[in-house]
Amino acid sequence: MQSPVKIWRNQKNIASLVGKTGKILSWTIVRVPPGDFTDQAPYPVVLVELESGKRVTCQLVDYDDAHLTFGQRVVTIIRRVTHPDPDGVIPYGIKAKPLV
Amino acid sequence: MKIFVNGAATTQFGELWGVSPRSLARGSVSSALKDARIESAQVEALFVGNMLSGMLGGQEHLGAFFAEELGLPVPAFKVEGACASGGLALHNAVNSLLSGQYATVVVLGIEKMTDHKPEDVATALMGAGSEEERNAGATFPGLYAILARMHMNEFGTTEEQLAAVAVKNHYHASLNPNAQFHNLLTVEQVMRSSRVADPLKLLDCSPISDGAAAVVLSTKNIKGSVEVAASVVATDTLGLAQRAHLTQLTATQRAAEKAYRIAGLTAGQVSVAEVHDCFTVAEVLAMEDLGFFPRGKAAAAIEKGETRLGTSAGIVVNPSGGLKGCGHPVGATGVKQVVELVDQLRGSAGKRQVENATIGLAHNVGGSGATAVVHILKK
Repeated sequence: MQSPVKIWRNQKNIASLVGKTGKILSWTIVRVPPGDFTDQAPYPVVLVELESGKRVTCQLVDYDDAHLTFGQRVVTIIRRVTHPDPDGVIPYGIKAKPLV
Repeated sequence: MKIFVNGAATTQFGELWGVSPRSLARGSVSSALKDARIESAQVEALFVGNMLSGMLGGQEHLGAFFAEELGLPVPAFKVEGACASGGLALHNAVNSLLSGQYATVVVLGIEKMTDHKPEDVATALMGAGSEEERNAGATFPGLYAILARMHMNEFGTTEEQLAAVAVKNHYHASLNPNAQFHNLLTVEQVMRSSRVADPLKLLDCSPISDGAAAVVLSTKNIKGSVEVAASVVATDTLGLAQRAHLTQLTATQRAAEKAYRIAGLTAGQVSVAEVHDCFTVAEVLAMEDLGFFPRGKAAAAIEKGETRLGTSAGIVVNPSGGLKGCGHPVGATGVKQVVELVDQLRGSAGKRQVENATIGLAHNVGGSGATAVVHILKK
């Protein structure tokens, strides 16, 4: 569970990564997840190289199996990461979806 | 100044629900002191390699905790570097001897993991990754799976070749009385095991384990001692995304190059190696990063038995069973690797003895390669 203060502090970093396009360098499908992610598994985690050259590791959402290939074009979006903490602060973060 | 391992011991590794961390520490340290024929009053400092005592057990302040338990009222330190905590503790202990601060020290590597459910252990282990990776819901099998897929794509490495690592290491573990697993595996069994993080399957992964290992280090070359010819640490970025290379662990390569230079040796002279096979692909990467095989060639060589006891004409890799077969109590692993090498170089490794073992290399990795520790030992 992340501290609400930390979530607030990270907002600007998240904003700077939204809406960027890139391609999948490699991927896995996590079937045995960490505790906070049990309700989401199985899910793909992809390593993406953005057009700026920066790389990010994030989940792939709104995908078909055919999208899990080397070089698949994706775009970064904002999505909920895990459950809200007891204070009700929702942790948002970066995920990627296929660019079609 | 030369540094020597005077005594070495491990506990049984496995799912030890009836055994406490205190008892694991007592067992390994008292055996190591007995092996070194040293009284506890001669010990001047204690270095504890451990990763998860705080996150899983709620107990920090491990230096004083184990100093009390062991009846060693000496300076005591917890050293943490994820799954390389044991190797890092050894490195700090070596440095303390080289500095002249102490003349005889004990290194204890210890971890108690099976008291907790797998999701909690997976979450705690992800403390070794980057925040970005945690927010992605990544796991350590997942991160190594991403590396495996890149290695497979670049070099044509196959899932069957990865499975061959687990088959070899279970064979070695079957000869090691202290190993977690004594069952033999086939490539088909590994291939059919449940998927954990594609392309890695359950039997590609080292287990969740309890265990401890201890060594006595000093500046004295007493009978039965093994010399520490090099102790080197290198680091890389915490997260995979920030790395320059993704089909190798650059920290391993850099630590190994420096260790060979300090020891005045080449990779070809190493007779036995204990490497960090947290996942089968990690042993393939280690073989290439440590210079034992050219890039892209290690997987086929492992599959052909070139690093297996009885079929290897050169180096034997992970005679203890490695992390896969012997078990991986994370803080204990780096110390256990050195205990195995001491047994091998003394010629006291029993059924798993590597013939004419003169030079041993231990390779311990933290996270997905952010910390790498290499030790070279010689007779």
